[in-house]
Amino acid sequence: MGIINRAIRNISRRKIRASLVIIALAFSMAILVSIPAGVVANQKSANDLANNLSNTIGQTGETINQTLNQIDCSLAPSFSGFGFRAADAGTFTPGQGGIGGTRSGGFDPNQFGGGTVGGQFGGGPFGGGEASPMNQTLYNDINNSISGVAAVEPILQASEGSNETVSMFGRTFTRQLTSYTIEGIPLTSDLIDNYPVLSTNVTAGRNLKAGDSGVVLLSENNSAYFGVGVGDTVSILGQGFTVVGIHGTSSASDRLVLYMNLSDAQAVTNNTGYITSLRVFTQTSDLVTQVSTAISTLHPELTVTTGQERLTQLDSLQSTYNTALESAQASIGQTQTTALEEIIVVVAATSLIVLFVMLYTVRERTKEIGTLKAIGFSNSSVMGQFLLEGVLLSVIAGAVGIAIGTLAAPTLSALLLPSVNLFGVTGVRVASNVASTAVVSVNLEIVLLAFGASVALGALGSLYPAWRAAKIRPAEAMKYE
Amino acid sequence: MSKPVLQIENLSKNYMLGKREVSALKNLNLTVNAGEFVAIMGPSGSGKTTLLNVIGCIDKPTSGQVLLDGIDVGKMPENQLYKIRRDKMGFVFQTFNLLPYLNARENVELPMEGKGKSKAEQRKRASELLAMVGLSGREGHRPQRLSAGEQQRVAIARALANNPAFILADEPTGNLDSQNKAEIIKLLANLNLSQGTTIIMVTHDSQAANHTERMLLLKDGKIVKEKAGLHLAKKNNKCPNCGSSVQRTDEVCPSCKKPIFQTEELFST
Repeated sequence: MGIINRAIRNISRRKIRASLVIIALAFSMAILVSIPAGVVANQKSANDLANNLSNTIGQTGETINQTLNQIDCSLAPSFSGFGFRAADAGTFTPGQGGIGGTRSGGFDPNQFGGGTVGGQFGGGPFGGGEASPMNQTLYNDINNSISGVAAVEPILQASEGSNETVSMFGRTFTRQLTSYTIEGIPLTSDLIDNYPVLSTNVTAGRNLKAGDSGVVLLSENNSAYFGVGVGDTVSILGQGFTVVGIHGTSSASDRLVLYMNLSDAQAVTNNTGYITSLRVFTQTSDLVTQVSTAISTLHPELTVTTGQERLTQLDSLQSTYNTALESAQASIGQTQTTALEEIIVVVAATSLIVLFVMLYTVRERTKEIGTLKAIGFSNSSVMGQFLLEGVLLSVIAGAVGIAIGTLAAPTLSALLLPSVNLFGVTGVRVASNVASTAVVSVNLEIVLLAFGASVALGALGSLYPAWRAAKIRPAEAMKYE
Repeated sequence: MSKPVLQIENLSKNYMLGKREVSALKNLNLTVNAGEFVAIMGPSGSGKTTLLNVIGCIDKPTSGQVLLDGIDVGKMPENQLYKIRRDKMGFVFQTFNLLPYLNARENVELPMEGKGKSKAEQRKRASELLAMVGLSGREGHRPQRLSAGEQQRVAIARALANNPAFILADEPTGNLDSQNKAEIIKLLANLNLSQGTTIIMVTHDSQAANHTERMLLLKDGKIVKEKAGLHLAKKNNKCPNCGSSVQRTDEVCPSCKKPIFQTEELFST
């Protein structure tokens, strides 16, 4: 009959009491498991969002730097933010609605749409929509009458897709789900050979070449969408095109873009004579301001954006991002403080529960303890017996609590931790996994820590009761009522 | 003939009762030899419980000497006294004091813990002892499934576990009906006869005491009277009723035809 066996029997002797105590302790342990898991997830979400944002800003900055000699002109609808297509070989099309327009901007709209930050990146929740078509003759005006212009690329871009209603952050949005975007560009050797007008990442077949007609370069996404490969004929808006190549995604923005000859695009979209934007390449990047001023003077109806302006906008975005990062960090800090306070309360509560239960047990079993002393048990073996009982009780509860906590961590941490303000998306609890990339989950490290804590708290709580038990005199065995 | 297992010389024990000092035991002398079956009697307040506590190493003497199996326990610290209690004496309590969540065998094994015996040895010893007290076959029963008499038998087996110098019994029949009382006294007497177990029984039950071999009467902290009990005659192979020779195994005296162990006297109360 070992000491462990006796401890187990003593605990199971009073089933209701033991169950109640175990439930109470298990609840504490579940909280002890959930809170760190919540904090870890908050931290991870913040880090992920921060990395995502800063990567995008960095990429965008790079693209802008590479395209400083470019000026984008369009007849844009009024547009509140600034949109950009992150790395489409320098294409910058405000009217296109940036991120949202093709649901493929630099940012995942699932994370940023509709939030404060989302507003920075697109006109509406998902971008500003299509640009107004303009007469292609503008091309000749700008190409011929403004000095410093090296080349002008007229572009017709049109998207096909469906509308989808989404609920996010308690608001409902209708967003355009783009199936594919047609981009028509003039396939002249001057443009193709000297300027970044096509995808630089052809993964199958060949790229478009000068003089191509009746052919398309699909994106991998397009290829899957249409179910066609190189050499196949694809039907676009009812007209057949031969797929000559497939391009990989070089940026999120060209994920859905298929390239074809400008005149083919104009014909198939019924826009003959029209384009949606002009991209002007200046002879040198220091001519950009001069050229853009000239364009604006010549055609005040055009929205003209230079690489320099885009850099300024990016700077302002960077500072917005920095502020958001600071506030997110402060918010995380607040959460950690609260978590620490709660853990202290739970730890105190757990050891107090063990303390009171074990004190009661010792008091109740005074005679039994006296008997053990009388028949030759040492103080230390009596103390060990009660310490073990307390630890065992706590460990059983710990196992139950860890199991509960592992399952209920998202709910519990959402209840116990304050809302985290991550980059302006307020009121979103990480635990509910709305705006986060990290799910609250209990890892092995937390489980081991919690298990260790249950052993330690059991021992801590039963230390005094066990000491009291050891001090009981053998004469107690001979008190008869 | 036998060596003493308990030697008490000039034992005094004083208590502070509020601001008044009360003398519970006054220069008490007592020697119990191995193999004796002794009853210590006395009315309440006579110092019985104090004497029991001193012999049981629960209380320390104010003055005088207490030798248990030749060991002076009077000045011994608690971290050694538990070993004396474990190895030199076996406690039997009025209320049996079995652990309710252990079965009979496990209760008997308890004092053997910490003696370095293997589980198998403990188990074997416990089974033997339970057989000795007439409980073979009930080893797996928990106390609540045993009668009061059976519980006290388990307690006696437990007291014998470590082969102690003597059994120290505190009113062992106090919580028993007359039939069980007779059986427990008979069991103790038989253990004393057959195993040579030394028994010191503290009781205020004169009938139970009368069945020991030596009765000591305690009054005001002193032993004031000592007389032979019925058990002495039996030990000397004499019928306690008529004095003629009997065999140890005899239940009834061949001469006077009366039961040698006069349990009917216990029954009649």
